[in-house]
Amino acid sequence: MRAAALVLVLIASLAAVPLLAGAGTIYFITLILVWGIFAISFDLVFGLTGLLSFGHAAFLGTGAFVYAFIMLAMPDQFLLAILGAIAAAGLLAFLSGALALRLSGIYLSLTTLAIGELVFYAASSPMRALTGGEDGLAGVPRPTLLGHNFSDDTSFYFLVLFVFTLIVTAVAILRESPFGKVLNGIRLNEIRSEQVGFNVRLFKIIIFVISGALSGLAGALLASLIMYVNPQSLHWTTSGDVVIMTLLGGRGTLLGPVIGVAAYEVLKEVASAYTVHWYGILGIIIIFMTIYMPTGIRGALDVPIRWFKGQRR
Amino acid sequence: MSLVVIGLSIGMLLFLLAAGLTIIFGMLGVVNFAHGALYMLGAYVAYQIVQWTNNFWLALLFGPCLVALVGGLIERFTLRPLYGRDHAYQLLVTFACVLVIEEAVRLVWGVNFRAMNAPPSLAGTTEVFGSIVTDYRLFIIAFGIALSAGLFFAIEKTRIGMIVRAASSNSIMASCLGIDVVRLRTVVFMVGTALAAVGGAVAGPLLPLKLGMGSTIIIDCFVVIIIGGLGNIKGAIIGALVIGMVRALGQQFASDWINMLTYLLLIVTLAVRPEGLFNRRGREA
Amino acid sequence: MRTALIAALALACSGIGLNSANSQTPTAFTIGGVVPLSGAYALLGTSMQKGAEIAIEERAKVLRVPIKAIWEDTETKPQTSVQKASKLLAGGVSILFGDGSSGQTLAIMPLAQQRKIPLLVTTSAADQITGANRNRYTFRTSSLAFKETRMAIEYVKKAGLKSVYGLAVDQPVGRDTWNMMKAALKELGIQSVGEDFAPIGSQDYSIIIDKIGKSGADGVFVVTTGSDTITFLKQAGQVKLNSRVPIFGTGFLDDDTAAAVGPDVVGVKTVARYHFSYDTPANKRFVEAYRKKFNEWPNAYAGHAYDGLIWFFDVVEKVGSWDVEKWVAEFEKSSHPNSVFGPAQMRACDHQAQGVGLWAEAAKGSAPYPELLLKVTSTFPPDHIYPACPN
Repeated sequence: MRAAALVLVLIASLAAVPLLAGAGTIYFITLILVWGIFAISFDLVFGLTGLLSFGHAAFLGTGAFVYAFIMLAMPDQFLLAILGAIAAAGLLAFLSGALALRLSGIYLSLTTLAIGELVFYAASSPMRALTGGEDGLAGVPRPTLLGHNFSDDTSFYFLVLFVFTLIVTAVAILRESPFGKVLNGIRLNEIRSEQVGFNVRLFKIIIFVISGALSGLAGALLASLIMYVNPQSLHWTTSGDVVIMTLLGGRGTLLGPVIGVAAYEVLKEVASAYTVHWYGILGIIIIFMTIYMPTGIRGALDVPIRWFKGQRR
Repeated sequence: MSLVVIGLSIGMLLFLLAAGLTIIFGMLGVVNFAHGALYMLGAYVAYQIVQWTNNFWLALLFGPCLVALVGGLIERFTLRPLYGRDHAYQLLVTFACVLVIEEAVRLVWGVNFRAMNAPPSLAGTTEVFGSIVTDYRLFIIAFGIALSAGLFFAIEKTRIGMIVRAASSNSIMASCLGIDVVRLRTVVFMVGTALAAVGGAVAGPLLPLKLGMGSTIIIDCFVVIIIGGLGNIKGAIIGALVIGMVRALGQQFASDWINMLTYLLLIVTLAVRPEGLFNRRGREA
Repeated sequence: MRTALIAALALACSGIGLNSANSQTPTAFTIGGVVPLSGAYALLGTSMQKGAEIAIEERAKVLRVPIKAIWEDTETKPQTSVQKASKLLAGGVSILFGDGSSGQTLAIMPLAQQRKIPLLVTTSAADQITGANRNRYTFRTSSLAFKETRMAIEYVKKAGLKSVYGLAVDQPVGRDTWNMMKAALKELGIQSVGEDFAPIGSQDYSIIIDKIGKSGADGVFVVTTGSDTITFLKQAGQVKLNSRVPIFGTGFLDDDTAAAVGPDVVGVKTVARYHFSYDTPANKRFVEAYRKKFNEWPNAYAGHAYDGLIWFFDVVEKVGSWDVEKWVAEFEKSSHPNSVFGPAQMRACDHQAQGVGLWAEAAKGSAPYPELLLKVTSTFPPDHIYPACPN
């Protein structure tokens, strides 16, 4: 179980971070982990099953808002808030999936985009009394769990790391399981999968709901981390961000999406320190990587690794 | 009735943009996210030409040609290496082009708002069915009709149009017949880009020129071409007019629901007739 | 091995943190600037930065150490604001300065409270910042929506309007402002003949403009921001709406947006949050320094940024030590007699600064002034235009 050893080392090094790094870095890595959960969930649909969803921000944002509603009303009900976020996002995923998964290819993507935009506008305008409209809701409390309050960034970091570990483990198991294999088969050849006897429609809906629910969990953690929520987390640019990060890191792999998140955020930090035109530089880098590194960073890592091991191809 | 006139002008502006987008999709199978940024570039370039020559018509004529060159570069260097790959990569690269174009515009023109005004010949107003409508809007409607007629004619009735249609539906066969499909793709992309730039130049006198003006309008364009049918010019016109009317009616009766209405309409279309009003249902890549 | 590579990557990431170690004894007075340098409000952020630079250059030192500013781009997104503010706070700053949009400022206020670092707001106008959401460490030296609406109401009274139409952006600030105006109109016995809420980023106001024209209203009260203002005024100008139904609004128009609208903007009335032509010695000095350095006229964002920071520097110097609690205590009772607006007073009850209000009209200018600009037509004294102190 090489993958397990790898993940173990990763988690161990992440756990050691607070000993080495300052508060700013701890916050930064927490953000990467939260977005990493979002990207991993997204990749279940995109990389594993081959469906390009362009509205996944709807699930992130819904999870964030529901979590915020519950926590603002009942600050000590952390677990309830998390469950609420997961359930709401999962429900939304079910409804969207029912509509969008009837289509394929570009139409599927555009439908998810449309649904995402609808949710965004709904949250911004008619539901503004509930969501605070553009101004959002500030002061979302940090969790209080088992008598411990996580207002301190370092302890919150460990909470997020714990959840991250659980998710990575669960997704790793899912990917290797028969269920995961079927999804991979659907990605490779949907018609063949149908002919072999799998209910492709059902599989797609199930993974869509799982992906949506976990994205909602990521949203709840995000709301908790920045103690704020607003419709920006529902916007199509947020959906676009997760697609970019997953592609950059390496779609269809376990840790590729997380690497993509880390690379994107680090790149932004580094570039913005040098110039105010960092967005343009980021664009150029993405173009290069898309053309010359289609398997993303994770894919590019395979080459030196294989060479190191003395393998060919 | 004035509602209809205003709805038409809103729709026509959308059509100018959507036409390019739908042509590019039809021929290249690429959803060009950079379309909005090229529209913005078209507006800024037109603004600059007006600053230099004080002539709107020159800007309308030459601006799009310049921007089309940019489009050609984009197709040649970022899209061409990616044909045959998953659509997601093409999406990603056009997304990245948006970032680069926006930064370039910021470098040249800065973050301040720029103003472009309608040419003096179109600065007046006319009364139409009891409402005051600007001559410029009437110009947009006329221009839109002329352009759509021209495009339609070019695609349906001319030889080059036939070649484009052939290459769109079966590029391998077309290439066997001696058509340089690779170069044709570049040309079509440039035409699509030029149309976006025309949209930008035309929109300049109506809307503020600012960074990011493309991203607000690109989503509307997607709505239009989905409703009309991807790749279908006739559909783009009708779709644009429909959305234009929806927005006009929305402003008249329930201005804060305009966006919700537009997206509900889109979702209903996708649920009931995803291929759009004018396309035939086919197998999708 | 792959594992080693990943581990190295993780450690490398954590290595970034080694740079952000805190220093116990301040060798500089650090301003943590969280402003939008990209996105929809890039103009605001870059202007705030410029105004701040003038202030820093003028003073150079406070408490006998140099003044330093660290700028972080919040991209006009509240989430990025929180991230950048947290980063700055973790790295150790003397004060936080910013943000751009009200949503962004509301998002970072709890952080200032939590870390007990003063937050100086010089741009965002939402009432909640010094109202329902106020906290001990947040101070605002610029104006708020309430004040601007009250000024517009005074204008309605003075101009003797009998009926008013309302157009507001579909956002909390738009709706709240219009609701406040409506309530005031009702009290004065003035008719509100219609209302429209347009989504932010609307491309087309022609139908609404048509409705306004047909409504027979004496005036139309507009609450929009930035580019929406330009779109609306441009399209309204093309049908000469202002000559039939006078257009007025709260803080929706300034020199930059007036220039972008074009000649049709002449005659539109507005609250002016700041103007470079306002005649006080401090303003003259600021405008001169600004023009020398940047070769342009300063806008409200630059003006307020400069003014707010100078005020804060004065407060810190008066306290004479690094005790933040003393800064807060001093700031909340301080006055700023030489602000660019003349005398200003900080209110202890809500940390909102009080000063005159400027009412202006768009007009043509002559060299060396810009072609189109605002002309201040009247000033409102601070009494009656600020909300009552809570409890």
